[in-house]
Amino acid sequence: MNDGVATPLENPLRAGLRLWRTPEPCTVVIFGASGDLTSRKLVPALYNLARERRLPGGFSVVGFARRAWDDATFRQVLLEGVNANSRARPVEEALWASFAEGIFYHRASFDDPAGYARLAARLAAIDATRDTGGNRVFYLATPPEAYPEIIAQLGAHGLNRSPEGGWTRIIIEKPFGRDLESARDLNRQVLAVFDEGQVYRIDHYLGKETVQNLLVFRFANGIFEPIWNRRYVDHVQITVAESLGVEDRGGYYDRAGALRDMIQNHLTQLLTLTAMEPPVAYDADAVRDEKVKVLRAIQPIASEATVRGQYGPGSVSGRPVRGYRDERGVAPDSQTETYVALKLFVENWRWAGVPFYLRSGKALPRRVSEIAVQFRRVPTLLFASTPVNDIEPNVLAIRIQPDEGITLKFSSKVPGQAQIRPVTMDFRYGTSFGVASPEAYERLLLDCMLGDSTLFTRRDEVEASWALLTPILESWAAGPAQAFPNYEAGTWGPAAADAFIARDGRAWRRL
Amino acid sequence: MSTLPFVDSATIEGELQRLWQETAETATGGQAVTRALTLNLIARATDPAMAERISAVVRDLVASHPNRTLLAICRPEDGPPRIDAWVQANCLLSAPGVPQVCGEQISIDAHGAVTAQIASLILALLAPDLPVVLWLPGPAPFDDPLLPRLLGVIDRLIIDSRDLSNPVRDLGRMAAFDRDPGTPSGAARRAALSDLGWAALTPWRELIAQFFDTRPLLPHLRRLDQVDIGYVPVDGRPDPLPGLLVAGWLAACLDWTPLEDAVSIEGAALRLHLRRPAVGVGPRAIRLVTIIITPVTPAADAAPGLATLRLRALDGVAADFQVQRADEQGHILTSAEVAGHPPVRRLTRCVAPSLADLLAAELRLLSRDAMFSAALQTAALFAAQIERLGEAIEP
Ligand SMILES: NC(=O)c1ccc[n+]([C@@H]2O[C@H](COP(=O)([O-])OP(=O)(O)OC[C@H]3O[C@@H](n4cnc5c(N)ncnc54)[C@H](OP(=O)(O)O)[C@@H]3O)[C@@H](O)[C@H]2O)c1
Repeated sequence: MNDGVATPLENPLRAGLRLWRTPEPCTVVIFGASGDLTSRKLVPALYNLARERRLPGGFSVVGFARRAWDDATFRQVLLEGVNANSRARPVEEALWASFAEGIFYHRASFDDPAGYARLAARLAAIDATRDTGGNRVFYLATPPEAYPEIIAQLGAHGLNRSPEGGWTRIIIEKPFGRDLESARDLNRQVLAVFDEGQVYRIDHYLGKETVQNLLVFRFANGIFEPIWNRRYVDHVQITVAESLGVEDRGGYYDRAGALRDMIQNHLTQLLTLTAMEPPVAYDADAVRDEKVKVLRAIQPIASEATVRGQYGPGSVSGRPVRGYRDERGVAPDSQTETYVALKLFVENWRWAGVPFYLRSGKALPRRVSEIAVQFRRVPTLLFASTPVNDIEPNVLAIRIQPDEGITLKFSSKVPGQAQIRPVTMDFRYGTSFGVASPEAYERLLLDCMLGDSTLFTRRDEVEASWALLTPILESWAAGPAQAFPNYEAGTWGPAAADAFIARDGRAWRRL
Repeated sequence: MSTLPFVDSATIEGELQRLWQETAETATGGQAVTRALTLNLIARATDPAMAERISAVVRDLVASHPNRTLLAICRPEDGPPRIDAWVQANCLLSAPGVPQVCGEQISIDAHGAVTAQIASLILALLAPDLPVVLWLPGPAPFDDPLLPRLLGVIDRLIIDSRDLSNPVRDLGRMAAFDRDPGTPSGAARRAALSDLGWAALTPWRELIAQFFDTRPLLPHLRRLDQVDIGYVPVDGRPDPLPGLLVAGWLAACLDWTPLEDAVSIEGAALRLHLRRPAVGVGPRAIRLVTIIITPVTPAADAAPGLATLRLRALDGVAADFQVQRADEQGHILTSAEVAGHPPVRRLTRCVAPSLADLLAAELRLLSRDAMFSAALQTAALFAAQIERLGEAIEP
C-alpha cells in the first residue's frame, strides 16, 4: 500500500469499547526542525502523546534544518522546548530518555539534492533499527517559500512513496498560498508528487475540541438543529481576537495581513462548520463535501462589505504597546491590515438573507474566539404592559478560547419584580468533562498518523476559500491608501467597524 | 451542610433547594454557580470511614460526571434505630470569574432496624430521568440487601473485584449477575455490571494491543503459545483474579477455548490450558496455549496488581512481547522481540488510576461492555475449575 490512504487494520485485541487506536510505528520528518513551531508545538505534542501511551514503540522523529547541530544538541533543544511548553511539565527524565532515543537530526539545506539522498538512506536505516515499517510523515514547518522546493525534491528522490508495505503522508502548514492563483499553483505542485489522499493541510483550529464539538453539538442534539436556520436566526457573529501584536513575525505578517493570516483559514473553518448541512457520514470526504458546499454558496463579498484597520500605539492589559508600523520587519508606511471585519451571506435554503459577520484582529483588548448565533427577537407585545420593553434576544455562544464552552443567554423574570433580565446558562468543557483537553497539535498529528483527514483542509476547500477572498484583496490593492493606523492598540478595532454593523441595526458582542 | 430534623424525602428536597439558593447567593464576585446533574449515583458505605472515602471519590467525580450522589451509610447492627440525613453541594474549585460546576450529595445514615427502610427513601430521592448507578464497594456486594431492592431501577451495578473476600468463588457470582442480574420482570431496564478491578486493567490491555497495530507483527497474534502473567499479591495472599480476567480477555479476543481440564496448580503457579485455532493450511496437531499466572516477589513498596505480562510464540519464528513495571513510580517497559525484526523497547507511563478515575471510566459507558462480559465468562469458567480442584494456591 503506497498511497497513504489507510485501510484499517483488524487487531482483534482492539475489539470492545475502551481501547483507542494507536498508529503504526512511523517516522515523523520535520522540515524546519530548528524553528519555533517545532520546539513550541510539534515536539511537545509528540512527547505528550508518547507519555500517554498513544504512540507505539519504535516511533521516531527526524529533524531537518541547516544549523550545525547533531543528534545530542537537537535532543537538548527539544527537551528545553518541551520543558517550557508542554502541558505536562517538567519532563520525566526516564520517559524523555526513552523518547529521545528515537529523535535524530538531519543537517541539510532544502535545496541540496544530496541532503535528500542522505535522508532516504537515513530513513531506511531507521526502518531497519526501529521497525518503523517504511511509514513516514513529512511535516513542512518551514517558511512557505520553501514548500515547492521540498516537495519537488521529495518527489525527485522517490520519498513520496514508501517502501513496500508502508505509507507516506505530508502535512503542510499554513499559509497555503497567498491568493487563489498561488494556492492553485501550490496544489498543482503538491499533487504532481503526492496523491490527495496523502496530503494533510493543517489548520490547527480544527484540532480544538470545541471546534469538533460544534458538529456534535449541532447534529447530536435534536433541540438545536430545527432552529438553526433563517426562520429563527437573526445573524451570526464570528470573532477571533488576539491581544498580541505581531511580535517577532512582523516580516511575515506585513506581507500577509489579517485576511490571509486569519480569515482565509481559521474563521472560514468556523464559518463552514457553523453553516454546513449534516454530512451523510462522519468521515473525511462527507464532512468536507458539505464544507465546500457552504463556501460555494457564499455570494461574492463586495469591498464595501469589509472594514480594515491597523493598530497604532496604545496599551493592552495595562502594558504599553507600540504601533504596528513601529514593529520590527514592518514597513513604516505599511498598508497591511491587522484588523478585518466583513459581512457575507450564504445563499442557500437554510441561510438565505442571514448575515454572517466575521471579525479578527491583533492588539485587541482580549484574546477570545467565539461563534455567536443570535436568534430573532420575540414580539414583545405580550409584555407590553410591564416595564419590559427591551427583551434581549437569545444568543447561543460557542466559545473556542480561552475557556472552551457553550453559553445560552435567555430571558428570565427577576423575582418579585416585573422585570426581565438576561440570564446565561454556561457549559464549559474544561470543567464539565474534567479531562484536560489535548492540545490541537496532538489531535491533528495523531489523526494524520492514523490516516484520518477529516480535520484537515481538502484541495477544493482551500481553493474555494481563496476564490472567495481574492477579489477582496484585489480591490483593496487597487483602491486608495487607507488612513492607517486607525485604531489604538487595546481597543476593539476601528470606529468604522462599529458603524459598519450599526448600519444594519446590530452591534458587535461585548466580549 | 446541615442535619435535618426529620427525614423524609420532601424535607430533603426542600433542604436541597435551600442549599442551592444559598450557594447562588454566597457565590463570590458575581461568580455563577452551575448545578449540573448527569446521573444518580447511589453509593453504600458500611461505616463512617468508608463513607468518608466514598465522599472523597465523589468530590473528584464532579469534574467529569457532576451527579446527585445518594450516600447510604447502612449500620443495621449498630445502635438503636435512627436515620439522619444531610445535604451538601460538591463543587469543583475553579478560577475566579469562571462559573463553578457543582453536583449535590445527600447522605443518609441509618442505624439498627430502620436500615431496611433506606431503599425506599433512596427511591423517593432519585433525580428523575437520569441514569441510576449503584456502587457497592466492599467484600460482599452480591449479598447486600440494597441490591435486590434497587435492581428494578438501576442501569449499572459497580463493584470492585479487588475488594472481594473470596475472589475466585465470587468470580462465579459476578459472571452469574452479568448473565442475568435477576431484574424483576416488567422493569424497564436490565442492570449492566462494572468491575473497577477490570477497569484497572485497561492500560495493560492497551499496551498489549498496541504491539499488534502494525501489519508485520499482527500475524504473530494468531501464533501465540504461551502467556505469562505475574502479579503482586495483596498482603501476601495469592489473588489470581486480575490474571484470570486477562486470560479471559485474550481467550475471548483470539477464540481460544479452555480444554476440558483447563486448570492445574503447581505450587504458587496457576496453569491454564487452552486450544487455539490452527493458522495456515494443512492438518496440524491441535494447537495449545498455556497461560501461567504466578505471584512475583515484589519490591518492598510494590502495589498489588499486575506486574508483568508476556506473550510468546515459541514454535517456529520466535516472537516475544512483554509489558512490565519498570519501577513503582508509574513507568512501564514494553519490548517486542521478533525474529527478523529489530528489537523494539520503550519506556512509557502508566500511573495506577485512582478510584475516581476508574469510576469515571465506568460511568462513561452507556451500554454493556461486551468485551468485559466475554472475558468474565471465560475467567469464571477457570475459577469454577479451580474451586472444583479444591487445591489451594500456595502463598
Ligand atoms: N510559529 C508558530 O507558532 C506557527 C503557527 C502556525 C503556523 N506556523 C507556520 O509554520 C511554519 C514554520 O514556522 P516557524 O515559526 O517554526 O518558522 P521559523 O522559526 O522561522 O523556522 C524556520 C525553519 O526552517 C529552517 N530553514 C529555513 N530555510 C531553510 C533551508 N533553506 N534549508 C534548511 N532549513 C531551512 C530553519 O532552520 P535553520 O535556521 O537551522 O536553517 C528553521 O528551522 C511557517 O510556515 C509558519 O507560517 C507557525
